[in-house]
Amino acid sequence: MAHKLITGLARLMALLGGFVLCLLVALVSVSIIGREVNGLAHNGYLGSFGDWLVARGVGPVTGDYELIEAGVAFAIFAFLPLTQLTGSHATVDVFTSGLGARPNSIIAAFWSIVMAVMILLITWRLFAGLQDKMRYGETTFLIQFPVWWAYAACFAAALVASIISLYCAIMRLTGARAK
Amino acid sequence: MSDLALGYLSFPVLLILIFLRAPIGLAMLLCGIGGLWLATDGTTVFMARLKSEVFTTFSNYNLSIIPMFLLMGQFATLSGMSQALFNAAQSWLGHRKGGMAMASVGACAGFGAICGSSLATAATMSRVALPELRKCGYSGGFSTATLAAGGTLGILIPPSVILVIYAILTEQNIAKLFAAAFIPGLLAALGYMLTVAVYVRLYPDQAGTHPRLAYAQRFRALVPVWPVLLVFALVVGGIYNGWFTPTEGAAVGAMGTGLIALLSGSLNWAVFRNSILQTATGTGMIFFIVLGAGFYNGFLALTQVPQELSAWVTGQGFSPWIVLILILTFYLILGCLMDSLSMILLTIPIFWPVVSTLDFGMTTEEVAIWFGILVLIVVEVGLITPPVGMNLFIINTMDKNTPITATYKAVLFFVGSDIVRVVILLMFPIITLVFI
Repeated sequence: MAHKLITGLARLMALLGGFVLCLLVALVSVSIIGREVNGLAHNGYLGSFGDWLVARGVGPVTGDYELIEAGVAFAIFAFLPLTQLTGSHATVDVFTSGLGARPNSIIAAFWSIVMAVMILLITWRLFAGLQDKMRYGETTFLIQFPVWWAYAACFAAALVASIISLYCAIMRLTGARAK
Repeated sequence: MSDLALGYLSFPVLLILIFLRAPIGLAMLLCGIGGLWLATDGTTVFMARLKSEVFTTFSNYNLSIIPMFLLMGQFATLSGMSQALFNAAQSWLGHRKGGMAMASVGACAGFGAICGSSLATAATMSRVALPELRKCGYSGGFSTATLAAGGTLGILIPPSVILVIYAILTEQNIAKLFAAAFIPGLLAALGYMLTVAVYVRLYPDQAGTHPRLAYAQRFRALVPVWPVLLVFALVVGGIYNGWFTPTEGAAVGAMGTGLIALLSGSLNWAVFRNSILQTATGTGMIFFIVLGAGFYNGFLALTQVPQELSAWVTGQGFSPWIVLILILTFYLILGCLMDSLSMILLTIPIFWPVVSTLDFGMTTEEVAIWFGILVLIVVEVGLITPPVGMNLFIINTMDKNTPITATYKAVLFFVGSDIVRVVILLMFPIITLVFI
């Protein structure tokens, strides 16, 4: 039951992140088309139709860089819970594979605890960073949206990552003891 | 303890952690944070850095190319292009001796042009080509080895995720690195085809044949391949010609392969969801290593280890060629144990300052690009080197009837071909630098 809930949560976060990533892909594509059409119109290749387009505001999306940076940061934080839950982190296991099942499950439990501590630390510091950004009211350069919005979204995803990594650590620990 | 001693001491500590199966990113993060703690006598520095550095790493505009390329690769695997490429290559080459294996290599090269990952290329092409190869009487070991080697073309032929990381670490132009990888990538494909030709002459019983097709049929088989060419030309050509930034190029590529997948009718919700989840775990894994490497390299820079090491190497008066060959050999050996991305992130900040001071009679930029391509090839050899090459495992799980030892034996021929290619590229830097 708990496992189902946790898996669902991790997948939901990953899908949210993926959805944002797909939105960014679409945004960039639109922005490039806008930029190219705008360039053609400005050079007079499209005649009066081009002038009409430019007057309607056809051009690159303002602040696309900033949106990509904020969006991708959220997406990556949102991807971390699933990465943790599925054990997708890169490891070198040639030297430990000969040790047998029990030592290996102890090793796995140990590293999942260290990982959980590290993710909790990152989440806590991210919150401190979020408070800084709120206090100083920092905004992005072009579209002037508050940087703390992006921090807040990332913090929410990091909280989920903390929950998942704690769950993984507890599961590994009880699993290691059971063997 | 001096900072420098601390820096040197961190190498064995890091290796021990990694060999004790710590997630590589976590091990680097621990060493980086622990090192900063000891070197600055307190927690203030790393606690302050953690406040913003995780966010700035994940929101780095140049790095945002990585999730987009991974998404592009995931869509590419769904686009049906692997089948079209294999059909086209097979219709031209299939009737020759070992021709089906050559066709697999050719199709892998084509797929590598729209996919930046070796594992995805190996897995996707195997799904299409393995059954066909076995049906035509190719032996299991030879078929799996060919596809494992062909898979490495995914990363040698641009776009390539590893080259993006290398470009960021050495502050080089991604477009130029992609351009430089093009001819070595084609050489790799030709070299593998040549290897196939040699192999089937040594072991004629391990390959079968396929009936010869008429030219009309061959040309017809080429038609469905055009979307691959279009996406490749748009993405790599666009980045090279400066129409858009590499990140924008990756987004265009994801859009392009996504549209092809949609039009091919294979993109339903379950499949789409799965490719998002695959992108998620791939991206999460890469960025956790990038994060760890950022902290570890920050610590190393503080201890001055990279500068000291490169000053020491220069002071010894070694021949630059010997140093370069030693570094490449080191990668070959380490590549048998560790995945290529971790290796690049871990070692380039240390090796690049050394290599950049060596005198090969080229500009620093030329050396950076040439060295990058050489490193790219030798780390990829690790993917197909027994006993732990990742591509070998991926393909082995797809063909349960072939013992992995049979794959090991046949793949050594392809490793041989890789080494010959590295030597050629070492001797003639112009092959790599012709487009720069």
